[in-house]
Amino acid sequence: MLLLAWRNLWRNARRSLLTLASIACGVAAIMFGQSMIKTIQWQLIEKATGIITGHLRVQNKEVKELKFPEKNYGDLPKLEKILAGDPDIEAYEHRILLTGLVSGKNDSNGVLLCGVEPKRDPKVTTMSTYLAQGSWLKGDGKEIVMGDQLADALGAKLGESIVVLAQASDGSMGADNYKIVGLFHAGSQTFDKAIAFVPLAAFQETLAMEGRANDLVIKLRDPERLEEARSRLSAALAGEPLKVLTWREVDEEITGVQAYQNAILKIVLGIVFLIVALGILNTVFMSLFERVREFGILKAMGARPSFVLRLVLVESCMLGGLGGGLGVLTGVGLIAYYRQEGLPLPIGEAMSQFLPFDTILHLRFDWPTHQTAIAAVVVTSLLAALPPALRAAKLKPVDCLRHR
Amino acid sequence: MSGETLIELKQVSKVYRPKVKAAFSDAAPGVIAIEKLDLAFSKGEFSAIAGPSGSGKSTLLNLIGTIDAPTDGTIAFRGKTVTNLDENALADFRLHQLGFVFQAYNLIPVLTAAENVEYPLALQGVSRAERRARAIEALSWVGLDGLADRRPDLLSGGQQQRVAVARAIVHRPAVVLADEPTANLDSKTAASLLDMMLDLNKKHGITFIFSSHDPTVLSRARRVIHLQDGRLQ
Repeated sequence: MLLLAWRNLWRNARRSLLTLASIACGVAAIMFGQSMIKTIQWQLIEKATGIITGHLRVQNKEVKELKFPEKNYGDLPKLEKILAGDPDIEAYEHRILLTGLVSGKNDSNGVLLCGVEPKRDPKVTTMSTYLAQGSWLKGDGKEIVMGDQLADALGAKLGESIVVLAQASDGSMGADNYKIVGLFHAGSQTFDKAIAFVPLAAFQETLAMEGRANDLVIKLRDPERLEEARSRLSAALAGEPLKVLTWREVDEEITGVQAYQNAILKIVLGIVFLIVALGILNTVFMSLFERVREFGILKAMGARPSFVLRLVLVESCMLGGLGGGLGVLTGVGLIAYYRQEGLPLPIGEAMSQFLPFDTILHLRFDWPTHQTAIAAVVVTSLLAALPPALRAAKLKPVDCLRHR
Repeated sequence: MSGETLIELKQVSKVYRPKVKAAFSDAAPGVIAIEKLDLAFSKGEFSAIAGPSGSGKSTLLNLIGTIDAPTDGTIAFRGKTVTNLDENALADFRLHQLGFVFQAYNLIPVLTAAENVEYPLALQGVSRAERRARAIEALSWVGLDGLADRRPDLLSGGQQQRVAVARAIVHRPAVVLADEPTANLDSKTAASLLDMMLDLNKKHGITFIFSSHDPTVLSRARRVIHLQDGRLQ
């Protein structure tokens, strides 16, 4: 049967090659699309968690605004002991995130003020890697690092002092002079125009929040162990007025973008599967129509209907398998090429309005989803061949032999 | 010849009705191809069914070959009724007991001569080595030594029909049914094919039932059954 199926496949080589090409293009397009969407998602997550969000966050239980926690927590030494013994945690730092005002000689701007631990912060986030001028925070008194666009707007330069104003925990306004020690350029307006970093200790003093913070950010050794790490930390913090959040809860917009992209990907995949299925259906039907008499001969010789059914399905499987194989090779080649060379996408500029985002995507393989798509193409080719195969199996031998 | 009855038809009729809605099917008159035919064939026969075009020769062979079903009556093989078998049982019956030779050769174009001949054996599940050996032997019986690996399009009409005969006899069927096997051949090739079939009948005891309207062909048959409008003459 395999021999006959294989030879039947090449009976009309041009038609079979066209079908193979359409399946291969479909598979390669699916793999490429999956890789592109997944790479964008990976980068979004990596950038968001790496720059500001972290993998896990610990905040006061009563906090409602997760990005700008309005409640504080204390007893930092007790927390340190719990965090130090956790095998999933690579690094962590206490922060104070607060909206406030910075004033230079030209202007005043509303910003997100981040009080960070200068020594720990570079181990937790990548913000210090975007430094363009000066140095990162050292923790020596009241120093500030801000985006270059913010400094321009304020008319402030490296080494000059500006005024930082924010609401202290006792309700009064806390204000201090901070010296600009560094300017960063992240390539994102949100960051370069509206975020400034100050040492935690200095900020606590300005805000009369000694020994307190409002945001504990954690970097995990393995981001894939997000839920396990959260569960263990939640258990360890049971009884404390704290809650443990994952980046998915803090950055809901990223999970929203992910869901949106996945939905689009599914629609595109559905269309590609439909095209593949119609191509196979057309090929198999044409091939059946040409061979009706032969099915009659096979049946007259004693082939059971199930044999004819299997013959047609095997032919289709070969078509799907070969086309799928060619598609995988093409897809792997395309992804490997753009992994090496990078794919310039305008999405980078659009995304960088919100988050530093690389405009050149270095594609990555996502084999679990690629495997699903490849299996789906093979199943689609089988399902597409089922109606013509059933029809061939049901034909009466005498009717087949009369077919012209 | 042993005289054992191989095939027996009792009151067999075949009426072709036009494809109309069920509600009107009884009213449609239909065409009577075979009418209340009683007929028997014995083991070792070399028989011809004769008659003009439209007399029912092909229909009768199709009914005997179980690739078409009678409207009425029964057909029995070695005393067992085959007209009530399901599709799978009929396929198995054809696979083991019958061989077919068609007017238009009807070889599978993508297979070589030997692969075509092997096919009934492959359907029977015979091992690759054995079916190859038996196919080569069958091709030798029909005088096609050395042409085993040729595709049908590289064989003459006469050679293709010999391959078809080899395919029909390779699995040692009880009966070979041949529907106008010489219709597409010139007279010399047709005579040669008939001689070869007769030789197989004599040497190997293969039962042949074939149809023809050619008097020269019919003259080779030991028994000629004349059909006219679906009835025995």
